[in-house]
Amino acid sequence: MLVSEIDMITPSSLSECLAFLAQTNKKHKLLAGGTDATVRMKEGNWRPEVWVNIKNLKELRYIEEKEGCIHIGPLTTHTDIVRSPLLQKKADVLVEASREVGATQMQNMGTIGGNIGTASPAGDTIPALYVLGAILEISSLDTKRLVPIEQFFTGPGRTVLRVNEMITNILIQPQVPNEIGIFQKLGPRKAQSISIVNVAISLRMIEGRHCQGGKIAFGAVGPTIIRAKKCESLLSQGPLTEDLIQNIAKIAWKEVMPITDVRATATYRRDMASALLERGLYRLIRRWENR
Amino acid sequence: MKTIQLTVNGVQCSITCPPAKTLLDVLREDLGLTASKECCGKGECGSCSVLINNEAACSCLVLAGQAEGQDIITCEGVGLTPNLDVIQESFVEEGATQCGYCTPGIIVSAKAFLNGINHIPTTDEIKTALGGNLCRCTGYTKIIKAVQSAAAKNNSKKETITG
Repeated sequence: MLVSEIDMITPSSLSECLAFLAQTNKKHKLLAGGTDATVRMKEGNWRPEVWVNIKNLKELRYIEEKEGCIHIGPLTTHTDIVRSPLLQKKADVLVEASREVGATQMQNMGTIGGNIGTASPAGDTIPALYVLGAILEISSLDTKRLVPIEQFFTGPGRTVLRVNEMITNILIQPQVPNEIGIFQKLGPRKAQSISIVNVAISLRMIEGRHCQGGKIAFGAVGPTIIRAKKCESLLSQGPLTEDLIQNIAKIAWKEVMPITDVRATATYRRDMASALLERGLYRLIRRWENR
Repeated sequence: MKTIQLTVNGVQCSITCPPAKTLLDVLREDLGLTASKECCGKGECGSCSVLINNEAACSCLVLAGQAEGQDIITCEGVGLTPNLDVIQESFVEEGATQCGYCTPGIIVSAKAFLNGINHIPTTDEIKTALGGNLCRCTGYTKIIKAVQSAAAKNNSKKETITG
């Protein structure tokens, strides 16, 4: 299929889009920001018969708090997230992750739903969504289901999404006042890079350095995002002293399952996963103590 | 083939092309606006940057069909030789260009950045804002200086108006 033969339809509403997905028998793909999809089309990997252009479906671009839950529309751009006062206050880890996606142009174009749907193991917003306990609303014309983000990915580029479905809402739990989060990323350079390793951390603090518990999620070190559950279980084992932080970081070395690829070797990734977690925990504790 | 309506540099255009053709190719081939350049074609270098509804984006990753109804500004729309924009004047004054291939993209990104702020940006702020635009000829020192001096000119203009 040549690029010049690919058709495009632009539904004017979500219901029109779902109706198209339900009835079409053409090979199709959803196209949001295009920062990934267009590149794959150019490389010849993605050549659908028709692009379903959803980029300008305004009804899927919002950030709002309703009934104790933050709702993020899948077509919300990374720039929208970075600029949102609500998310800065109640989902700091997601704001930090979105700020690390590519550079200005990619943040203006790329969408959070696209980042999830592409299902890259190195997608920057995904570990943040893991630690915020995100739930995805997935809709087809006549069904709607809620899938916790940890059950959404089945492998690199693979998800539980069916051909007639799309992500229509992203729900996250707002952080409580004693909850703090951080996103750490290692890339080949500061701007415009794909993660070699990244980690999102969210802690619920009590008094001093005592922590009630928390979540740690690593990206780019396994086929999908990895929750470091052994590390997490140590968080509440005592005050987060230097010794404890170093122990937790050591355990991360065994919890991740990286491969060697063009960006880094597996051993380097393991070492860096430990280092990033250690650094992230120190920085979080410092932020907590200084506020 | 599809007919697409879009506004480019303030002019309403109607273009007939395959919907999966990139906006960059539409600008260069169909409209003859050759300031925006193709370099990496993957959104890594920023030399194809244009403003879409006043936000910088890589035109090599936007498909023509997605540009329907959008307001596009290219480097030509920022300013041309008889009426250069403050940013372009500053780039000339500071000599912030060498081969020139990346310059139109940088001008467009700098335009979007300066439109959104009211102060003279720090080096770090400029580096973050222009992080998606690569220059492989030389360093970024003069580019950063040019953006700062353009911001200073913008500010003094605003003061004259309000004062």
